[in-house]
Amino acid sequence: MKYGLISDIHANLEALIAVLSDLEKQRVDSIHCLGDVVGYGADPEACLKLIQQTCDTKLIGNHEYAALGLQSVEQFNEAAKAAAEWTQQTLTEDAVAIMADFNLDRALDDMYLVHASPFEPDRWHYVFAAEDAIRGFGQMKQDLGFFGHSHIPMILRERPDSLPHVRTGHTFVADPEGRYLINVGSVGQPRDNDPRACYVVYESDERDVEFHRVEYDIATAQRKMSKASLPETLISRLSAGI
Amino acid sequence: MPEITVKYEDKVIERIVTEKKRISIGRGNENDIVLENRGVSRKHAMIEFNDKAAVLIDNESLNGTFVNSRKVSEEVLRDQDVITIGKYSLVYNTETTNEGGEAANFDGTMVLNTKQQKKLLETDRMERQIVEKYGGSVLLGMENADFAEHRLDREVSTIGKAKFVHIRAKGFWLSGIQAKIVQEDQIFSLVNLGKSGKVKVNGDVTSQCVLKNGDLITVGKTTFKFVEGKN
Repeated sequence: MKYGLISDIHANLEALIAVLSDLEKQRVDSIHCLGDVVGYGADPEACLKLIQQTCDTKLIGNHEYAALGLQSVEQFNEAAKAAAEWTQQTLTEDAVAIMADFNLDRALDDMYLVHASPFEPDRWHYVFAAEDAIRGFGQMKQDLGFFGHSHIPMILRERPDSLPHVRTGHTFVADPEGRYLINVGSVGQPRDNDPRACYVVYESDERDVEFHRVEYDIATAQRKMSKASLPETLISRLSAGI
Repeated sequence: MPEITVKYEDKVIERIVTEKKRISIGRGNENDIVLENRGVSRKHAMIEFNDKAAVLIDNESLNGTFVNSRKVSEEVLRDQDVITIGKYSLVYNTETTNEGGEAANFDGTMVLNTKQQKKLLETDRMERQIVEKYGGSVLLGMENADFAEHRLDREVSTIGKAKFVHIRAKGFWLSGIQAKIVQEDQIFSLVNLGKSGKVKVNGDVTSQCVLKNGDLITVGKTTFKFVEGKN
């Protein structure tokens, strides 16, 4: 089976459309969204509706939690907070109901899908380093965990008696004996110095993990954000991929 | 102007709109609201109005005065609060409803229902014990709930059919997170998040409402009772 794995769209409709059309070319069997469809960008409603139509798995992220009023935005930085408040005011009841039906995690084939760390999924722990991954591996029954949240494509391989091995996200074939945590990167706000939208295709027969980068119309996404008076820092970072 | 609707066994028998600063309630004819029942004390209770609030005061009555099923001695009334005295219920509205409903034909003779009074007191005693045990407001599982008592100790509690919500509810068409209960300054509000029409309070569909003691919350096929922890 061939799976498309996308995460952290962040209301960037231009990036999402570009990724979905690229996924069509990849001829995946199904598409799975690992959360944070909303927050930061100017098109939360359109992105939610598109995700609902196209994705087999729809996971909840911390930005959905904030938009549903399930957690305070106080811990967000100023720009994220302003964007979260804008999102909350913008969303219609229909859009809220779409998010209210998202799942927290999903076991599928030999994969475990989650937005942040598999450890306490609704507490949104980041997995940046080997130390962060240990507790995640501890909570995961499957061999392959796909997640997002940090917007940094990354591969972490579990090792006996030592810290997990960390690599940047790049196409590879997973060792059948190995256990991995794989950050699929971000569609709508990449932060690894590459502004192109990021997603992953996983082919389960060969255990082939492919990272894909797609160019999209950044200028239009930025123009819409400006029109919505969203914070300047969120607009400019899209061009730099930071 | 505030309005008090007097009901006897769910039948409206009187609507009182008052400008008075104080109204008395009791069995004696000298009262502003006369409740003819032996279960009602002669001078049972009074309501005092000031600029900011209406305060219900029980005159150490024999059978007690209840607000939203909770026995009270003195209580600031909120809109739609239900005061129970004997077999009577008095609904407090901060504003006149203008419904103009006709008073039922009521002949004034009735029998003191000690069974109902006992039940009210017993329920109140049990619920007080529960909130004392948990130190705050609690949801009681009434129908199809997977718990008997659930302490509402979070700022936000989620209700729905997803595995990760705080309070599980049953119903095929329910959303994963169908609703949330938000706590702010000891006020609890219920907010629908999922598909519309799936959340009811006391039988009425709601999208958002402030919860009162004794409210029955139905989410899909599951019903909970809200027991308020203050007082």
